[in-house]
Amino acid sequence: MSTYVDNFPEEAAIVRKAFYTSFVFLALGGVFGLIQTLHRTDFLRFMDSADYYTVLTAHGVFLVIAFTIFFLVGVFTWAVTTSLDRGLEDLRLTKLWFGLMSAGGLAAAITILSGFVGDAPILGALDADVLFTFYTPLEAHPLFYIGLVVFVIGTWVAGADWIRTWWSWRKDNPNERIPLPTFMVITTMIMWYIATLGVAIAIIVFILPWSLGLVESVNPLLTRTLFWYFGHPVVYFWLMPAYMMWYLLLPKLAGGRLFSDPLARVVFVLFLLLSTPVGIHHQYLDPGISEGFKFIAMTNTMFLLLPSFLTAFTVVASMEHGARQNGGTGYLSWLGALPWRDPAFTGMALAGLMFAAGGFSGMVNAGMNINYLVHNSLWVPGHFHLTVGTAVALTFMAGAYWFLPQLTGNKLWSRPLAVGQTVIWFIGMSFMSNAMHRAGLIGMPRRTAEPQYENFGFDAGVGSVAELDAQIALGGALLTVSLLLFFVVIAMTAFNGDSDYTESNSIPTPLSGPEDAPQVLDNLKLWTILAIVLVIIAYSLPLASIIDGRGLFGPGIEPFDPIPFSVVSTTLELTAEHVTGVIR
Amino acid sequence: MRVSKAGLMVLLAFVVPLTVELRTVLAWFNVELTVLESVLVGLAVIAAIVVWATRPPKDEPSAASQ
Amino acid sequence: MNIHTYEKFWLIGAMVLIVAFIATVTYGAAGLGIAMVDDEGGTIAPDEIGDHDKFGDPGVHQVGENEYDVYVHAYTFGYSPDTIEIPENSEVTFYVTSSDVTHSFTVVGTNVNTMVIPGEIAEITAQFDEPEEYGILCNEYCGFGHHDMEAELHVVPETEFDLTELAVDAPDEVDTDDQAQVTASVTNGMLEDLDTTVTLEIGNETVEEDVTVAGDSSEDVTFAVDASTLGDGDHDWTVTVDDYTESDQLTVGTDDDGDSDDGDTTEEE
Repeated sequence: MSTYVDNFPEEAAIVRKAFYTSFVFLALGGVFGLIQTLHRTDFLRFMDSADYYTVLTAHGVFLVIAFTIFFLVGVFTWAVTTSLDRGLEDLRLTKLWFGLMSAGGLAAAITILSGFVGDAPILGALDADVLFTFYTPLEAHPLFYIGLVVFVIGTWVAGADWIRTWWSWRKDNPNERIPLPTFMVITTMIMWYIATLGVAIAIIVFILPWSLGLVESVNPLLTRTLFWYFGHPVVYFWLMPAYMMWYLLLPKLAGGRLFSDPLARVVFVLFLLLSTPVGIHHQYLDPGISEGFKFIAMTNTMFLLLPSFLTAFTVVASMEHGARQNGGTGYLSWLGALPWRDPAFTGMALAGLMFAAGGFSGMVNAGMNINYLVHNSLWVPGHFHLTVGTAVALTFMAGAYWFLPQLTGNKLWSRPLAVGQTVIWFIGMSFMSNAMHRAGLIGMPRRTAEPQYENFGFDAGVGSVAELDAQIALGGALLTVSLLLFFVVIAMTAFNGDSDYTESNSIPTPLSGPEDAPQVLDNLKLWTILAIVLVIIAYSLPLASIIDGRGLFGPGIEPFDPIPFSVVSTTLELTAEHVTGVIR
Repeated sequence: MRVSKAGLMVLLAFVVPLTVELRTVLAWFNVELTVLESVLVGLAVIAAIVVWATRPPKDEPSAASQ
Repeated sequence: MNIHTYEKFWLIGAMVLIVAFIATVTYGAAGLGIAMVDDEGGTIAPDEIGDHDKFGDPGVHQVGENEYDVYVHAYTFGYSPDTIEIPENSEVTFYVTSSDVTHSFTVVGTNVNTMVIPGEIAEITAQFDEPEEYGILCNEYCGFGHHDMEAELHVVPETEFDLTELAVDAPDEVDTDDQAQVTASVTNGMLEDLDTTVTLEIGNETVEEDVTVAGDSSEDVTFAVDASTLGDGDHDWTVTVDDYTESDQLTVGTDDDGDSDDGDTTEEE
């Protein structure tokens, strides 16, 4: 067998483009993250605090929309073509969706970055200082919303591309089970189609017309609820590709085989069913939504623990199997027999471990009345830097160490540096996330440029607020170092042209294979219908109640520009002053 | 070496969240550590692990490193 | 489907954990009575806030023996009132709304934490036992001044708490041979009667009058001041009721136009 680029050179070119695009956004988002950790902890403030929110919008959107999704479309393209052993149906369609995603991403990026400069000629203020959640009545430039919509449509077309390829395979292989990687891609995309419906409606029917002045008012609670309809399943859109890599690549890297194909299918079906009807758990403290709906969201959310628990078992069992194949013995000592020298393995293993911690802090968030203590506090970013920030991001980076050689035919440049990179990420995130969790518990808010208040302070339980701030800054610095190492290794690998990489692009068969999986698991029509029914049950009554009480378009709620330019100097001006010592 | 160099690095990385959380846990038992004291505890644990890891294994090598 | 024995145990364990989490939260709701912010607070259009009976003049009201309602208006970038005073051992219901964007109303160090969405009224009830000073902050991004948005909540000992308001009506000028009427309106927002003393200091004189203001009502106390005793010129005066004062100046002049008022209450001592 040969490498992926040998087997599918054209698809490999697309996947490379997708990965490199995602890395550009990772770099930008990472720099902004560092600026945030230094600014809010008061270690280094070189910009107006109002611009912090522009930085934060960029950090959020570039990392959790652009970086993650550009990466996963590459992984999914690899997964479908590899497991079906056939190229994509029509590469023109592929180029179309990649073009849509790029155009949409670029448009959104331009509006966000415009927050740093003054008004553009002719177009005026392009900014989008509304954060990743873009709650109304905060308003961004219409181009921001258009960019997001075009980007999402690109992902829809990508799903169609992969589904078409699968259907084509099915005609040629009528009685076969769907290969597991393709099964994972299809179930994820069905979940995504259901999930993006909410945010698409929010933007296309309400927010975009409002920002264009075509309607005068929106109902903020309605658009917020439609956002969170999407806002929870989007995390599974990031997580399911990471799980895919843990199920398919991690056992192979560990020297073994996946423990159970059927249970992997069960996990992905559970995510298809449960990802969307839980969004109200992000709105536990919202007025206008009754407690009964919040309780239903809570119980649904708690059941989401199940697929993650199943994954933990399967992943660890598969690793153990691999370790014992390599001579590992004993109750715990087999851990030493794992290939810690392989950065792809180490990164994924550390990411998986950190996810366990993140999952539990997520359970606290999910605990309805417990949520009072943590909502919108720094605990929440503490939680999601463990989940999307490590389980997903570190898995993607570790995966890149395996994918890039497959995509280029070049050997990975410097395994030791790559392993070091993953370990430093783990250490940096331990510091930063731990301090964020603790700061949140004492009341420190998230999304705040200067969490230092005039008339009161925070009462740290152990140590002091200054120590917590220092720990956050330290963690942020280490994460930035890790990111730099990542880019060095990736760049050097991309240019490592005269190395000879020959590992085959194959996924070993699982110990318990698809023949052990009940047929019903592959009945995607059934699961799709069930998923839609669950969403209707979870959302029809709350949405009806919100629309009934306050109207589809709300009680005269006008747009609000979060950072009008008359108020602040631009970042560039301030940085120049800072650097040259000249104050105007 | 009882573990590979990379394995040792991973093990040592675990000392970080352990030490950080230990400080909070000890506070529940009214033992308060300053930052400096926590760092020293962490370094001590690291030293102990390094000593354990670099001593030769008791009988045959317990694991083939990759 | 082959499910390994260990995996079956693991699955059962996971289900037990899930049920335990749900049970814990349910206990908090049904057993401890921790209610979630919901749709009971009602709605209000943002442009109606100024005219609203309660939000138009936000503040603390007593509604029961140890029960208080606090109406708060959140806006970019602050809260009105910006200092909320309530007594210890009280059950306080906050009603919070916004006239512009979504904010939060978060009392640091407590579980009083609610979103404040324009168009909606957030209603949240909490029990305050001990005297304490709390900070209030906004943790929902609302624009460039988000990090400056703060307020204070003071829980004071019962003896220090009142809902008294003082308004004084007095002329700026009075003729030399005339009387000036200084009327102190004392409003008592508590449900219990308020027994207190109104004091007027003017020139070198101090006059006091005891007054009882019934619960949730107002009493006027008028002092008649003889301008001749003061003499011509500017005289500072201060009216005091408990910790509340109001001060201004009275000018005694030689203007021929004024009518003399007939006061109907006490002469100065």
